[in-house]
Formats: sequence, C-alpha cells, structure tokens
Amino acid sequence: MKAIVSIENATKDYRLGKVVVNALRGVSIDVARGEFLSIAGPSGSGKTTLLTLIGCVDTPTTGTVEVAGRDTAKLSERELTSLRLNTIGFIFQSFNLVGVLDVFRNVELPLLLQRSLSAGERSKRVLSLLERVGLMEHVRHRPNELSGGQRQRVAIARALVTRPELVLADEPTANLDSVTGQNILDLRKELNRSEHSTFIFSTHDARVMSHASQIVRLADGKLAEGISTGPTVSELHEVSSAKA
Amino acid sequence: MAALFLDFRIALLSVFEHRRRALFLGTAVACVTTMLVLLNGLSNGIRSTLVDTATTLSTGHLNVGGFYKVTSGQAGAVVTEYEKVREIALKALPEADFTVERGRGWGKVVSDQASMQAGISGVDIRREGSFKKVLRIASGNIDELGEPRTILIFQTQAKKLKVKVGDAITISAQTTRGTANTIDCRIVAIAEDVGLLSSWNVFISNESLRALYQLRSDVTGAIQIHVKPAYVNKLAPLAGRLRNALEQAGYRLMEPDARAFWMKFDSVTREDWTGQKLDVTTWEDELSFMMWTLNALNGLSFVLMIILIAIVVTGIMNTMWITIRERTREIGTLRAIGMQRGGVVRMFLWESFLLGSLGALGGGIAGAGIAGALNAAKIHVPFSVQLFLMTDTLHLAVAPAALFKAVLLIAVVTAAAALYPALRAARLKPVDAMSHFG
Ligand SMILES: Nc1ncnc2c1ncn2[C@@H]1O[C@H](COP(=O)(O)OP(=O)(O)OP(=O)(O)O)[C@@H](O)[C@H]1O
Ligand SMILES: [Mg+2]
Repeated sequence: MKAIVSIENATKDYRLGKVVVNALRGVSIDVARGEFLSIAGPSGSGKTTLLTLIGCVDTPTTGTVEVAGRDTAKLSERELTSLRLNTIGFIFQSFNLVGVLDVFRNVELPLLLQRSLSAGERSKRVLSLLERVGLMEHVRHRPNELSGGQRQRVAIARALVTRPELVLADEPTANLDSVTGQNILDLRKELNRSEHSTFIFSTHDARVMSHASQIVRLADGKLAEGISTGPTVSELHEVSSAKA
Repeated sequence: MAALFLDFRIALLSVFEHRRRALFLGTAVACVTTMLVLLNGLSNGIRSTLVDTATTLSTGHLNVGGFYKVTSGQAGAVVTEYEKVREIALKALPEADFTVERGRGWGKVVSDQASMQAGISGVDIRREGSFKKVLRIASGNIDELGEPRTILIFQTQAKKLKVKVGDAITISAQTTRGTANTIDCRIVAIAEDVGLLSSWNVFISNESLRALYQLRSDVTGAIQIHVKPAYVNKLAPLAGRLRNALEQAGYRLMEPDARAFWMKFDSVTREDWTGQKLDVTTWEDELSFMMWTLNALNGLSFVLMIILIAIVVTGIMNTMWITIRERTREIGTLRAIGMQRGGVVRMFLWESFLLGSLGALGGGIAGAGIAGALNAAKIHVPFSVQLFLMTDTLHLAVAPAALFKAVLLIAVVTAAAALYPALRAARLKPVDAMSHFG
C-alpha cells in the first residue's frame, strides 16, 4: 500500500535574526495508511517541527514531504490549505482554540469551512464527539472558561470532527487524566477502524506508545538509531481482517 | 448557508469581544459622518437658499433678455414685443413651469435725507406668487406693489435713506433714448435683507418702470423662465434649444456669454449694430459675479471632507494593525485548520464594515437630527455672512439622498481602509499559530 506520509531527508531551519536553528537535520520516514506512529523525544528535539511539516502547516527547508501522495513544496497556498482542511486533523500542542467562539462553534469550525454538511448533520456530528470527550456540559462555554485538559479535549474533537485520513497530535494526552486519556485512545481506535485513518502522535506518554504500531525517537533534530516497533502491530491485521 | 457566515460571525464576535475599542472607533466614525452630513447640509442649504432667493428676485432659471439699440452707442437692456418672444419660448420648452417679466434698469433713488444708486427691477406682483414667499416683509404690505408708483425697498436701504413705509421717494434714470427722467414713488413695503441682492436692488411695479424709462407696454427687461424642479440642474441643453427656436423665428441672438446682463453694457455699446438682439442666459450666468462664494464653499467642504475621511481611514487602519498583531495566533490557527486567505480578508473587512456602517448610520442619524434642530432654532447669521447667504438665518438642507450617500461613503471607506491590513493578515503563515504565544 502507498504511504500516506513519505518524508525524504527533510530538514528545517529556523532563522532567529543572525542565528540559524537547525530544528530538523535530515529526517526520513514513511507512514503507511492505517498506521499509528508515535514520535518520542526530549523537549526541543523537533517533534512539533516535524508535525508542522507533515501537517502542511509549514514546508521543509530541504528534502521532500509527501502527504497523500502530494509533494507539499510543490502545492500552491490554496491547495495546501485545502489539504489541511480536508485530509488532516491537527491537534496543536497549545490547543489553539478560537477565543471568541464557544466550544460547539470551535468544533464545528472545520465543518463550516468544508461547507459539505447541513446544519443538522454538523450539529449531530459535533455533539456526538463532544459527548465522547466528555464536554457535554461545556458546549456553550468559551475556551477561557475551560481548564487545560478541557481545552485539549476541544482541540481533539475539532481535529477529529471531519473524520480526516490523517490525524496529527502534538502531545494529545499531556493534560489529561488517565480515564479521559483512555477515552481518547479508544476514540482513535474506532476512527482507525471505521475510516482507516492514520495517526501520528508526538508523546511522552508510555501508554500512548504502547498502542502505537511504530515508534520513532527524535533527538536533536534527527531520528535516533533503532526504530522500535510497538506492541500493537497486530492491530493493523485486525483492521485488515475486519475490512475483509 | 451558515458556512457563508463563518467569517462574518467571527468578525461580529470579535467586534463584540473588543467592544470598548469598537465603541471608541465607532464613535469616531459617527462623529466624522455627522460632520460630513452637517457640512453637506450647510453647503446645500446655502446653495438652495441662494438659488431660491436669487432666481425669484433677480433671475429666472433661464432668461431671455437682450439689448435694444436706437443708435449703435445707445443700448437699453430690454426685450421688445416680449409677448411674442414668450410664446416662442414656451413652445420650445415644455419643461417650463411659469414665466415672469422683469424690468431691469439702473438709477438713483433719492429721499428727503439721502440718496443712493440702485438697480431698479420691475415686478408684476399679482403674477408672482413665489416673490412673496422668499421675502419677509418687515413693515408695510407687499400686495400694494401692484398699484402704480409704488416701491419696495430693504431694511438697510431704508436705514440709509432714512425712510419708512408711506414716505415718498424719487427715482431718476436715463431712458433708452438718452434723456433723463424721474418718477415719484410711495414706499409700500420694507423687506428684511436678503444679502447682496438687497443691497443693490429695489423693486417697483413693471408699470412704474415703463413710465420711468418711457417704454411701450410691449417692452420688458427680460422674460424669466422658471422650469419644473426636475430640470433645474439640466439647464444647458434647454438654453441651447431655446436659442435655436428664437433664431429660427428670425431673432438675432447675442453670443452666449456667462456674465450678468449689466456687465454687458460696455461691450454691447461698442458693437456696431442697432435694433433688437436677444440674449439667452441661465441663472448661473446672471449670478456669475457671486458664484465664487458657492465655489469657495464647495471647495472648502471638499477639503474638509478629504481631511475627515483621512482621519477615519487612519483610525481604522491603525486599529486593524493592532487587531491583527493581537490576533496573529488566531489567524494562524484558522489558516492551519483550513481557512483560505480569502476568508481571513473577508473576516477583517466584515469587522471594519460593521464598525464603519454602524458608526456611519449612527452619525448620519445624529447629523440629520442636529441639522433639524439647528433649522428649527432659526439661528441668525452675522451680516457679513448674510451678504452671500442671501438669508438672515442659518439653513441646512439635508436631503435623504445626500444623507444616504454620506453614510454609504463612510461605510465603504472604512471597509476599504481595512483592505490593506486584511490582505497583510491573510499573508501571515499558518505556522505563526505555533510560534506566537500570547
Ligand atoms: N518558530 C521557531 N523559530 C525559531 N526556532 C524554533 C521555532 N520553532 C521551534 N524552534 C526551535 O526548534 C527546535 C525544535 O523545536 P520543537 O518545537 O520542534 O521541539 P519539540 O520537540 O516539539 O519540543 P517540546 O517537547 O518542548 O514541545 C527547538 O530548538 C526550538 O527552539
Ligand atoms: Mg513540541
């Protein structure tokens, strides 16, 4: 099967005045459809940077990043935007909710941008997700009325609401208690099953890693030696057999 | 459907979120709109008063005047056999509302105590309803101007001549044949001043004027044509048509010359012809010597308008820059989630359009209200201002169309002012959502 994400020797430099920060120094990864990749690594190792490249939020300095078979460096701004909207769901490390919109509207946002569902369908989709992440009591609250963990769950719901092929999450369980964290993982599994979605999480959470089908370790902008494969490769087979 | 309103909704909520700033800016926009409406109202008010007064007292919208020369050096500003001329004119101009005959001369007005030079205008008060409307009579009875040997003068003139209603006055002038003649008139009415016009003009009955200048009864100074309101601002083609019709009827016409009739004596007496020549002019021609006041006023309001708009534009642009700086992260987030650049542009345009249109609407209503209040208060203007206003009270004409235009102008200008900042905001990179904390 063709990889949904294919990264060839990607580098990313950030320029801070005269100082150039080499956040990524040549990373190559292929991620197959339906896979669950977990990116581990210490703070500052380049996890977020790598996710922004995969998420089409930014393009590499050198090397290539292909998402859903398309070289992101060759896409127009408009095409990149629609790839972000229609193919990718991104859970940002700092959530990035829209402050003036309430929880419901924040989650509905990508659906509004897609303009494909009716108001009724949108509402059903949003509410069922909010129920799954345990935010039914906060539907009409603004982000600044929520705790960190609640905001994170809104961000998760917003990323999943379009049922994207590719879900990227930057430390999605960092602020969650174990029960909610488990809910998120269950939700991931379900989506993986129903939509055959691919997941790429950056995480320190051992439990998340234990669900991953592949784990890569970043250190100082490079993949560390010895890519370990997670214990749930069998999951992939489960999916294939369920589909068959 | 709702999707179309996404950018609008975010804009609306953002305006509400920053309501203190929005209120401040909206108020500024409202103030500018109010000033614009008042300025426009003042300018239009002056123009309409001037036009109303001047066209009633001293010129029609269109005039058929001219000169009759007994010898080539002796000219009288008269139209002979004017009934015929009027018939031709009315046939050529279905747009005409009514016509009046106005005798026009220049002479010396002498009282027991003093004397002054003045334009002597002949009027048929029984046929001129609007004449009574534009003049406010301080004392006496204007209807008596229909009787022979009567005169209407203005307050300043009465003071100068030291006369009152009922007093006798002598007018002396030179007839078209070049001889001197005098008539005695009784003052039947003293009118309140109407600016420049009232300082140089007195009114007597057409009959008295003919007696003074020893004119036949089929002679008048000018036929003044008042057109229906819809045509007041489209006089040039009508004047052209009128000229053609008169020429075709066999009349000799003077070259179009945008000056008042009394400024033409010099050139006419130097020309080598005798008999009758007709002259077709518009009120703007006849008042050309004082049009500078209107032009100056229009120029001034234009400059003020530019300044006011510049203030609004600067204010809006500044606010938009601040807003965009503050919301870099939000813009980046929306872009990262999948909002196209157009959506970001629309969002900020909506925001400033909301501010602008609400501000402008409020300002427009306030402006109309203030104009109404000022009109109702009948504020007296100083004499120097009266001179060119042709009225003694302040009058602001705020037409609904002009009001609508001002509000629309400001609303569009404010939205346009946000265009550049909005375009810049749309060019922010989605990755800015990651790095910009705050
Ligand atoms: N916008 C930026 N401008 C300049 N330097 C940046 C920028 N973003 C990241 N960096 C630098 O790039 C390196 C990698 O950062 P990145 O955010 O990818 O790390 P991370 O692995 O996500 O860390 P953490 O676990 O703390 O989130 C760091 O040294 C960071 O300082
Ligand atoms: Mg990070």
